[in-house]
Parts: sequence; structure tokens; C-alpha cells
Amino acid sequence: MKNKRPLWYYLLPLVSLVLVLVGWLYMAAAKPLLFPSPAETWQRLIKLIEVPLARVPLYQHILISLRRVLGAVTAACVLGVIFGLLVGWSRTFRATLGSIFEILRPIPPIAWIPLITVWLGIGELPKMLIIFIGTFTIVVTNTYTGVAMVDPLTLSVGRVFGASRRQLLMEFVLPAALPAIFAGIRMAIGVGWAIVLAAEMVGASAGVGFLIFRGNELRDMPLIFVCMFIIGSIGALLSAGASWLERRLCPWRP
Amino acid sequence: METLTPKLCLRGVEKTFWDKKGRATPVLDQVSFDVRDQEFLVLLGPGLCGKSVLLQLIAGLDEPTAGQILLDGQPIQGPTPKVSMVFQKTGLLAWKTVLENVEIGPKYAGVPREERRRTARRFIEMVGLAGFENAWPRQLSGGMKQRVGIARAYAAAPELLVLDEPFGALDAQTRYVMEEEILRIWEQEKKTVIFVTNNIEEAVYLGDRVVLLSSCPARVKNVYPIRLPRPRDMLSAEFLALREEISAAMDLSV
Repeated sequence: MKNKRPLWYYLLPLVSLVLVLVGWLYMAAAKPLLFPSPAETWQRLIKLIEVPLARVPLYQHILISLRRVLGAVTAACVLGVIFGLLVGWSRTFRATLGSIFEILRPIPPIAWIPLITVWLGIGELPKMLIIFIGTFTIVVTNTYTGVAMVDPLTLSVGRVFGASRRQLLMEFVLPAALPAIFAGIRMAIGVGWAIVLAAEMVGASAGVGFLIFRGNELRDMPLIFVCMFIIGSIGALLSAGASWLERRLCPWRP
Repeated sequence: METLTPKLCLRGVEKTFWDKKGRATPVLDQVSFDVRDQEFLVLLGPGLCGKSVLLQLIAGLDEPTAGQILLDGQPIQGPTPKVSMVFQKTGLLAWKTVLENVEIGPKYAGVPREERRRTARRFIEMVGLAGFENAWPRQLSGGMKQRVGIARAYAAAPELLVLDEPFGALDAQTRYVMEEEILRIWEQEKKTVIFVTNNIEEAVYLGDRVVLLSSCPARVKNVYPIRLPRPRDMLSAEFLALREEISAAMDLSV
């Protein structure tokens, strides 16, 4: 049973929200060109919903970005967990593929954009590839760390009770490493959502990254504000989705 | 029924660890003793004297540097279903329920699901945890966790059970209860038991014989047959005399 907290603690978040809103209103009044007011931002959002920008309705912009991120991050999670487990578990893998990975890992995903654009053009695949590169490394690193940190006692238990090497990996190492793996997946979703914006600012004709870039080109401050709110809300939703998935897959955790 | 053929023979067992700079740390020095069939043998020694290392060798998790360990006359080569273990830190798998933890021995021995579940339920009941089959380990108290550890070790149907300071982390009250329990189960199940402890009172209360080890590197200092009838009275003159005698011979831990 949780202790009942005083009412005060439920009011505090509300108070800080009101303070932010007051600050926003003040700035909008002082510098109207740099700070669109809440009302202006709201109107721009309604307009964006009603009038498609670049002949693409708003929900399509969002779905296009989401598809790029979720597609790339899903691939990065599946392959990254497998790769991280193998590198963490097998000395041969660590010595061969692990060292190649260590050489490529420190290159930031954004740095791949020019090369990939030259090689693959500006379609869907290159954008997803850039997101994949940035998130795969995160999932691999976290999985590998999770495997390396498995309590030797857990492995002793498995060996004493006769688990095969394969069973040790799948039924002892993998579940023991799951919390670290999920930390990686959550981070990958966040980073993937950040990279898609960068990828869409170069040679895209749709997506929320394209929208905010267009806002910048047109000096449409309300549009930039709207895009930032949309990007923030979807990022929060994605992170909540990852937490939900983790609770479903790790029911033993409090 | 006590037979005279030893279940387990240790002959001049030595174990030395080398660190990265090549410095040797001898942990076991010429350890020799026998364990009789269905005997309750206690290994008593000061903290950090190498008792756990000795159990690792008996469980087949590690190999001796020199000497022989024979189970039913055969040298131990790796973990075997004949030897099962209760770990000091319980080693319960957090991602498995009580039932799933207890059934791992028969599971990895290839016993079909229904049959091994029946076995697991029987031993969960034996340790007094009926009704907790579907609980997660984190929901149990320290004493209950170690009961699960004991049920798991017995469910694997071993011929030899090794217990590595199983009650070391429990409070005094729980410890007394668990000492009674382990004797009851031992008398009921008729298995050979090696019980490791650093507690003289516990050793004299439980053992048919007490093997006293020196501080590191561990040697056998003496073997005490405990000829007191069970249940033993910890305050009887004979009990206290034995306690006194062993206490005087035991090295202080560092």
C-alpha cells in the first residue's frame, strides 16, 4: 500500500504548468514575432489540420514519420538483441564481429547522411537505414552490457540443474538481461524519433521533420511551435508504449 | 540404514587460483574425507576458508588442481543430475514463478511437463509452501525463498545434496525453524547431505559428523562424530561440551 500523499503534491504539477503558461503569454506579448501566443499556435494547428501542407494532410505527415521510425527501430531491436546476445555470449563472435562493431559504433548516425544519400538517394530506405544505424548500436550496447552483468550465480544454478548451453542462453542469460535490453529499446525509440527529424530535413517531401523544416524556411513561427508540440507528444506516447510493452513482457518486475 | 561404502570420496583435493600477475592463492590443501550414504555431514570452517570452492568442485562447477573427487567410485566430470545444490544467496530465478523454479531440475532432465509439475508441487508442499506455486520470488520472505531453494534441490531427484551456508542470511528465529525443517526433510527423503556452515552450534545440532576445516588454505583439522540422539537439546551438557571442544579447535576467520 502506498502512503497517501497530501493534496498539495497533486496541485504542484498544476501550479508549474500555469506558471509556464503565464511565462509564455508574457513572452508572446513582449516579442510577438518570435513568440506566437497560445491562441495563435492553436489556430495554426487547426489550419494545419484543415489545409494540407505540401498536399499531404497532417495525420499523413505524422504516420509517414512514425512508419519510418517504427520500421527502423523494430529491425534494430530484433537484430540488435540477437547481435548483442551473440557478442556477449560467444567469445568467437566478440573477437570477430564485436571488433568491427566497436570501430563503426562511435560514428554518429547523422554523419552517415551524406554517404547514404549519395549511395541510395532520398527514398524511404536510406532514411530508415540512417535511423537503423543510430538505434542498432544502442540496442547492441545495452544487450551486451546486460549479458556481461548477469550474476555468475544464475549461470551456476543453470549448470547445476543440467541446462544445456542453448537453454542457459535463452532461459537464464536472456531474461536476466531483459531489464538492460529494455532500457536500450526505450532509448532507441527516443533517439530514433530524434534522428527521423534530421533525416527528413534533407530531401523529404513529407513527415514531421519536413514540416518543421518548412516552418523554418517560411519563417512560420506558429507552425514551428505546432510541430514541436506534435513531436513532443508523439515522443511521449512512444515512450509510454515502450513501458507498456516492458510491463507485459516482464510480469515478474514490481 | 547406514552402509559402510562411502557415497563420496575426497582424496588429496587441492585448488589454487592464479591472478593475472601469476600469483598463486592456494584455497584447498590436501583435503581428504569420505561421505557415507545417507549421512548428514557438516563442513564447518571459518568465513572465507574455501568451503564454497570445495562445494563448487563437488557440484562439478569447477575442477580441482590436484587430487580426486569420486562419487560412487567415479570421478566427477562436470555437473551431474546425481548432485544438487542449495545456494547461500538462494539463486532463485526472478523471472520464474515458484513452481517454475522448482521444476527446472526435472525439466532439463527431459521429464514431461505434467509429470515434473506433479513432482514440483509435491516438494513445494513438503517445504510448506503449498498455495505459493504461482508467486514470484520477490514476493517471498528470506526464509520462504530458501524453502523454494530446498524444494528445487530435492525435486531434481539427486543422490547427494550440497547446501552452501543455506541459512547464513536468515535471522536467528527463522534459522532455528529452518534447521528443524531440513532435518525433517532429510529423515523423510533419505538422501546424502553435505551441509556447509560457519556456525558451530548449527553444525553440532545438525550433523552426524562434523568435518572441521582450517582457515585458508583449508585443510581438514579434525572430524567429530556427533553421537547425540535427535532431536538434540542445544543446552544439554553433552551438546555444550562438544561445542566447547570444537570451538577451541576452530581457527578464527580473518
